[in-house]
Amino acid sequence: MPEIYPTLTQVAIVAAAFKILLFPAYKSTDFEVHRNWLAITQSLPLWDWYYEKTSEWTLDYPPFFAYFEWIMSQVAKLVDPAMLRVYNLGYDSWETVYFQRFTVIITELLLVYALQLYVDSSHGPSKRAAHAAAISILLSPGLLMIDHIHFQYNGCMYGILILSLVLARKKSTLLWSGYVFAALLCMKHIYLYLAPAYFVFLLRAYCLSPKSIFRIQFLNCLKLGSGIAAIFGTAFGPFALKGQIPQIMSRLFPFSRGLCHAYWAPNVWAMYSFVDRVLIMVAPRVGLPIKSEALQSVTRGLVGDTAFAVLPDISPRVCFALTLLFQAIPLAKLFMQPTWDTFIGAVTLCGYASFLFGWHVHEKAILLVIIPFSLIALRDRRYLGAFRPLAVAGHVSLFPLLFTPAEFPIKTVYTIFWLILFLMAFDRLAPASSQPRFFLFDRFSTLYITVSIPLILYCSLLHGIIFGKSYEFLPLMFTSSYSAIGVVGSWVGFLVVYFTSSA
Amino acid sequence: MAGHAPSPHKPRRKAKRTADLQSNLSIVESSSSSGRVVPSFPLAAFFWPARGSVSQWEILPLVLMVVGLFRWAAGLWGYSGFEKPPIFGDYEAQRHWMEITTQLPVSQWYFHDLQWWGLDYPPLTAYHSWLCGKIGSLIDPSWFALYESRGLHDPTLKIFMRATVLVSEYLIFVPALVVFVRRFSRVNGVTTWSASIALAAILLQPATILIDHVHFQYNTVMLGFVVASMSSMIAERYLWSAVFFVCALGFKQMALYYAFSVFAYLLGSCFSPRINVTRFIAIAAVTAVSFAILILPLVAGTYYDVKRGISPHPDRKGSRVPLPLFEEYVGYLNTDAFYYPYIEQLVQMVHRVFPFARGLFEDKVANFWCALNVVVKIKNYPTELLQRGALIATLASIVPPNLILLIRPKKHLLPLAFATTAWGFFLFSYQVHEKSVLLPLMPMTLLLAGNQGLGKDIRAWVGFANILGCWTMFPLLQRVDLRVPYAVLTLLWAYLLGLPPTSTSAYFQQGSSVFSHWVTAFTHVFFYLAMALWHVLEFFVRPPSDKPDLWVVANVGVGAAGFSLCYLWCLWKLILQSDILPKALGGKERKAKI
Repeated sequence: MPEIYPTLTQVAIVAAAFKILLFPAYKSTDFEVHRNWLAITQSLPLWDWYYEKTSEWTLDYPPFFAYFEWIMSQVAKLVDPAMLRVYNLGYDSWETVYFQRFTVIITELLLVYALQLYVDSSHGPSKRAAHAAAISILLSPGLLMIDHIHFQYNGCMYGILILSLVLARKKSTLLWSGYVFAALLCMKHIYLYLAPAYFVFLLRAYCLSPKSIFRIQFLNCLKLGSGIAAIFGTAFGPFALKGQIPQIMSRLFPFSRGLCHAYWAPNVWAMYSFVDRVLIMVAPRVGLPIKSEALQSVTRGLVGDTAFAVLPDISPRVCFALTLLFQAIPLAKLFMQPTWDTFIGAVTLCGYASFLFGWHVHEKAILLVIIPFSLIALRDRRYLGAFRPLAVAGHVSLFPLLFTPAEFPIKTVYTIFWLILFLMAFDRLAPASSQPRFFLFDRFSTLYITVSIPLILYCSLLHGIIFGKSYEFLPLMFTSSYSAIGVVGSWVGFLVVYFTSSA
Repeated sequence: MAGHAPSPHKPRRKAKRTADLQSNLSIVESSSSSGRVVPSFPLAAFFWPARGSVSQWEILPLVLMVVGLFRWAAGLWGYSGFEKPPIFGDYEAQRHWMEITTQLPVSQWYFHDLQWWGLDYPPLTAYHSWLCGKIGSLIDPSWFALYESRGLHDPTLKIFMRATVLVSEYLIFVPALVVFVRRFSRVNGVTTWSASIALAAILLQPATILIDHVHFQYNTVMLGFVVASMSSMIAERYLWSAVFFVCALGFKQMALYYAFSVFAYLLGSCFSPRINVTRFIAIAAVTAVSFAILILPLVAGTYYDVKRGISPHPDRKGSRVPLPLFEEYVGYLNTDAFYYPYIEQLVQMVHRVFPFARGLFEDKVANFWCALNVVVKIKNYPTELLQRGALIATLASIVPPNLILLIRPKKHLLPLAFATTAWGFFLFSYQVHEKSVLLPLMPMTLLLAGNQGLGKDIRAWVGFANILGCWTMFPLLQRVDLRVPYAVLTLLWAYLLGLPPTSTSAYFQQGSSVFSHWVTAFTHVFFYLAMALWHVLEFFVRPPSDKPDLWVVANVGVGAAGFSLCYLWCLWKLILQSDILPKALGGKERKAKI
């Protein structure tokens, strides 16, 4: 099989060079969060990990991630022991910065490996497309902004996710796909959002006979069940022995937070709040009642209870129900038609549903949609049509994460570079669809992409010049409402593609 | 990365692609296992999907964005003199010039407190500083407040300063380079695809990024004017060439390194193929007028200040200040005449720009004199003798290339002649700074866009010069903790072009084992090993206490030897390519070229 250029290794090397140059860039509190976790896991006994609260950034990821931090802290010990003291809050010597930033780059190698497996698992004419998609994920502006500037370990996490998705492609490795995903859940519980798709797919394709859904393959069930139980046992077992599970759960699922996150993730609730804000101005003329105590909360954008002035309040229960409902619809098709492409589509749609309707969704979660979607975006032009607005909206919605002037050129130029390069490349690579295109959808997406230019200009430059420091919520609200339209639009478009395409 | 799809709409592309492959032989090689063509170095691999089918107008914006990102990211690191009182560094010098040009009357620019980074660049730099200072003052006037802003290291100011370097480069150097690469590659019959690769390689040149965007200076503005001048020569727009070169000189006197070549080429073009007196007169006139326009704002400013009764040196009221130069002619001048302030102004400017009174070399720099100083203590000799020696050596080194250019003013010889001359200046002239290595590196790197430019031979030598150049600047960069950007940018460039220390593929020619290739390979490998060894020593071993400068001196010695090789190689290539030798001698090379 001839090599396709540039190879993933070549891209990874150049990208790594760029990421090392970003070492002195802005880093968010997440940097301190992870330093604190290094300190906790290194200096405290296992039993205290989930009780320690010297720093406000308590350990709130599942145990495998804590083990992961513990392994890294073994190396950190040699680099700068001072970063491993729990009371050393906000410590960021250059050794600490170099070390932590470097671990992000190193652990991201897992993503490169998983993507290489993905390319190798594609054959024939689609291999070239798979290669382009793999590079697009590797160079994703989302990962660059979140991991290498803002600071997190998403590259490694998504590497595990893609590894699991690729393993699901072959019948022989299906079991391992389930195991890897279980391990991923024990590292970062945000992937629970995708679990329903895994459940349905593994149930139908592994536990039930391909011929009839009423013939259960007991041996397979046993293998899968015992393996997953062992993985969860390794993760939570030690804590369960000490009866710490309720404490861990309260750390992992803090339901006391509000509906919208501080930065307004571009989902249905952002549009809902936007409509509510507009209604505040309209309501007196129409005669709608306004809850006066709610007037001050959303504009301040604090993490806390979001109260609506005109529209009815949303409870976590409503979010949960809506999320499950919109996950169940695509899963029905997956159950009937358990192919790999449908599975990836279903994973993507699960990501969409939880991002759009979930409680307290962070805008970083958009990667849950973009990354699985990238794997199938090049199947044909209709898929690409739905992917395009998502690629623009998803990345633009991440811009408010980085607000410092030095990083402004990096986030904008890098994202524009990525969009031009890959939307152009995808356009050449995606084969024509056998089905007729969705009416006017591509016109909508072109118009939508064009609007992003004045929007970015306004939010990052003009607003500051016109209003200075006042009305700071305006650019945030515009960005998230704009992005919400794109994400919702691409969701609707993809739902149509998903349900109309044959296996 | 942009995919190359078998597109059904445009069948004509196929034919073009095969034609391209034929002429891109220097970049592709056939893989031994499958017999298919593969890119012979990683940078070509990145352009692989764009072969033939993608217009260069789609590639160009992407290339410019990527190199811009690398520049900006490198700029996140520290700059020269960051938090290093009492006098800080180049960054403070540039900021200070913005301060004095925006805050002081024009006639005081070249006189103001010379101990604190007094203005010592030609007027165009002053005007550029004025413009940047004016724009910066709109954002935050405290950045350039007179006296109060000295040594300021406000992080937002740093972003502004970095932005001025980037914008100046994208307004001058980048467009000049894009046009140059287009014209030069066309003269040499190079495909647009290879030209795009060459453009990316030139723009990622680590030395320029390290000095301008990390260490902090505006060299690319001057280099950009020089490239524009060369590019105009290729387009046969000789008058523009003269104008651009005056701009380069007016921005930074260092452009004098190229002056002989510019002169030789322009003069040569007036004589060959036939004598063209009108062109000669026009070039001379345009040059004179450009210089006049260049100093016009300075003169006009002085006029305005004389009218207002503002003295250029308000700190020395009453007494006349003697002219810094030409004391012997002062007797002929009437210090009260109307013209005297202008003479004084211009003489002071020239005096500031050309500091004849300083030593042969300032710091440790990898040129001939500094290397010789290791053996013979040069500073013991009288300055007169040293100046004369430097003059003779420099002349001896630059006369051959410029003589060739004068006799054979051929377009394809330009980068080689410029590079040889600049190497001569760098190695032998007076008052060289280690950053001056950018000047010979620039035209030498332009060779990548020429005939066989991305082939192994030229790539190996251009790469060698660049990596050696960066390496000699390491002591300078390391002083302000810039080891990481140094390592990243240099290794990245070496990797992209398939050069040591990341790959030795540039030294293995397929199916040829010419003696000269082996000599090249051995000398280069020797130098690369020396550089690597030096880094190891410098990092782990402290120099003996009686020789604290040992590593720097070793750096200088190796650097000077390597640069001399680069000079000789450029000169040899120039002689071969100018076809000036009798056929018997030059025949072999020409056969190899065909």
